Amino acid sequence: MQTSFLSFGKRTLRALTRQKAVIAIIAMLILMLFFKTNFYTSYNLLNVLKDAAVNEIIAFGVTLTVIAAGCDLSVGGVMCLSGITAIQMMNGGMSMWLAIALSILIGALVGFINGFFVVQQRTEAFIITLGMGMLLKGVCQQLTDAHPVSCTNMEFMKIANGKIGGVIPNLAVIMIVFGVLVYALLRYTSFGRNLYAIGGDYEVAKYSGINVITTKWTAFVLSGAMTAVAGVLLSSKLNTGSSIYGDDTALMVNCGVVVGGTSFAGGVGGIPESFIGLMVLQLLTNCMNMLGIAPYLQQVAQGVVIVGIIWLDCFGRKRKREDV
Amino acid sequence: MTKRFDLKKFLLNYLVLVAIVLLVIITIIVEPKFLSGDNLTNIMRQFGPLSFVSLGMTFVIIGGFIDLSVGGLISLVAVVTVSLIDPLGQFNALIVGVLFGAFLGFLNSMVLISCGALTQAEALFITYGMSAVYSAVALIYTGGSTQHMSWLTTPQTIFTAIGSGTVGIFSVSFIIFLVCLLLLWIFHNKTYSGRSISYTGGNKVAAELSGIPIKRSVILIYTICGLMSAVGSVVLFSRITTAAPIIGKNYETNAILSVVVGGTTLKGGKGSVLRTVLGVLLITLMSNCMNLLGVSAYMQVVLKGAILVLAIWLDNRKEQ
Repeated sequence: MQTSFLSFGKRTLRALTRQKAVIAIIAMLILMLFFKTNFYTSYNLLNVLKDAAVNEIIAFGVTLTVIAAGCDLSVGGVMCLSGITAIQMMNGGMSMWLAIALSILIGALVGFINGFFVVQQRTEAFIITLGMGMLLKGVCQQLTDAHPVSCTNMEFMKIANGKIGGVIPNLAVIMIVFGVLVYALLRYTSFGRNLYAIGGDYEVAKYSGINVITTKWTAFVLSGAMTAVAGVLLSSKLNTGSSIYGDDTALMVNCGVVVGGTSFAGGVGGIPESFIGLMVLQLLTNCMNMLGIAPYLQQVAQGVVIVGIIWLDCFGRKRKREDV
Repeated sequence: MTKRFDLKKFLLNYLVLVAIVLLVIITIIVEPKFLSGDNLTNIMRQFGPLSFVSLGMTFVIIGGFIDLSVGGLISLVAVVTVSLIDPLGQFNALIVGVLFGAFLGFLNSMVLISCGALTQAEALFITYGMSAVYSAVALIYTGGSTQHMSWLTTPQTIFTAIGSGTVGIFSVSFIIFLVCLLLLWIFHNKTYSGRSISYTGGNKVAAELSGIPIKRSVILIYTICGLMSAVGSVVLFSRITTAAPIIGKNYETNAILSVVVGGTTLKGGKGSVLRTVLGVLLITLMSNCMNLLGVSAYMQVVLKGAILVLAIWLDNRKEQ
């Protein structure tokens, strides 16, 4: 009895050391106990979820591409673009849901183009998507003349700012719904399992009869579409679409995904990992805001945490390589 | 092998050269002012900061890594150097600034080596984190305010010369660029360390097994990148005579863009500083020509992105 308890303890400990992001979150939660702030109020904790929602939804999509050994750095541009197009179409007299649907379609189209270059033509994912992000930024500036556009339809604002029962923010619920859906997609469908296989070894997956190109391409399309959803939500939250959004979103989200433990080599990771990885960054911001730390110092801390966690990750892999 | 076949191969290899020639011809036809002396000097000046950063970035990419920290590094070096001009004198400040840049690059390489990061993706995120740190330190150092060189009491003759001086028809910064280019070309092609960088990028495991000092290559490429970015930073703030703590923003993507458009492959191992010069030339000429032709600044960003995507795509097709 005792031995099984011990081995359980050992296993948990090992799992925890593998999950550096979880440790970081626990450390932050414990640290906040010692300071007298409003951190442990339901309002603030729900607020953390609400603030994280946009980046989390993007991260869920990006995770799909990262698992298939790709990555998507065009998300910043897609996020801007979908918010702007949704608002401009609505201001042009289109009905709200149609405008949103079309914006999401535009996101999916960008993902499709990314997929064409990365999967069908087998180019380097990160530089192609980086270029695509840059291009979309230009498109956004051109569309808005680099001015923010605000929405005249007041219903639009309620999507992201509403609260269910006056307590739980809509954004948090939407995020959780998306998380569960993508989790199920990855875990219980052949599409999801195939993505892992493709990320693990592209050639092996190909010769095992998986339709590698279609599957990986779909991952990029989904990533684009989900980023567009997040972009619409962000614009709804702020009631404004602007070309300045999302300057670091791409790197921040991809970083969060990696911090959570989804490897860029592909084949490992998942939605819970990405959720936790992004949560580390969001919680860090919230804790530092609560403690009244100056914004520039916050940026230093964020950089150090990113470098630290990825450093530990690489170091672990190096140890494993040398053990073999 | 017939002569015609050779020409085709050459053109495929140097598509960027074709693009440059086409661009220049079209612009001259539409806007003959392109060839005026003023505009040519102008192009030489615009060639400035980005070309230095791209030269450094070339080595990182040939070595199979990537460096996103140059944006933050340029900002930090700029504000530190400008703030040192008064206490140290201009010459010392210049030297300290450039060495400081090299040190920051060295720091990047030490972080990468200590955790054994061997892939481009790992380097990407670690240097991204470092960039956040560097730019934040630059903001803290200045309190977020811009440093104006006109407020300094020490003479700034050196910086004025770098920023706006000319020797004959060449600007001083262009001459510095030529010197750097020559030195780096010799380093890359004629020295053991330089060539081992190419081998490191080609195949890291094979290189290590054949006795190539990978760690030294990593230290070298990042230190060179830091050094060249610092030189670029000096040229940049000399030209605009102010150093804002966000001065280096977007330089990392533009540098990667020019290196890749020039034809150095991201897979590592292949490429040269001369190709990067072509890449920078294309990017610089493109913005100059588009300005002359009256293309809006926003469309220029779109076209830049499109050219990046196209260049990589064509490059990839060529290999297959």
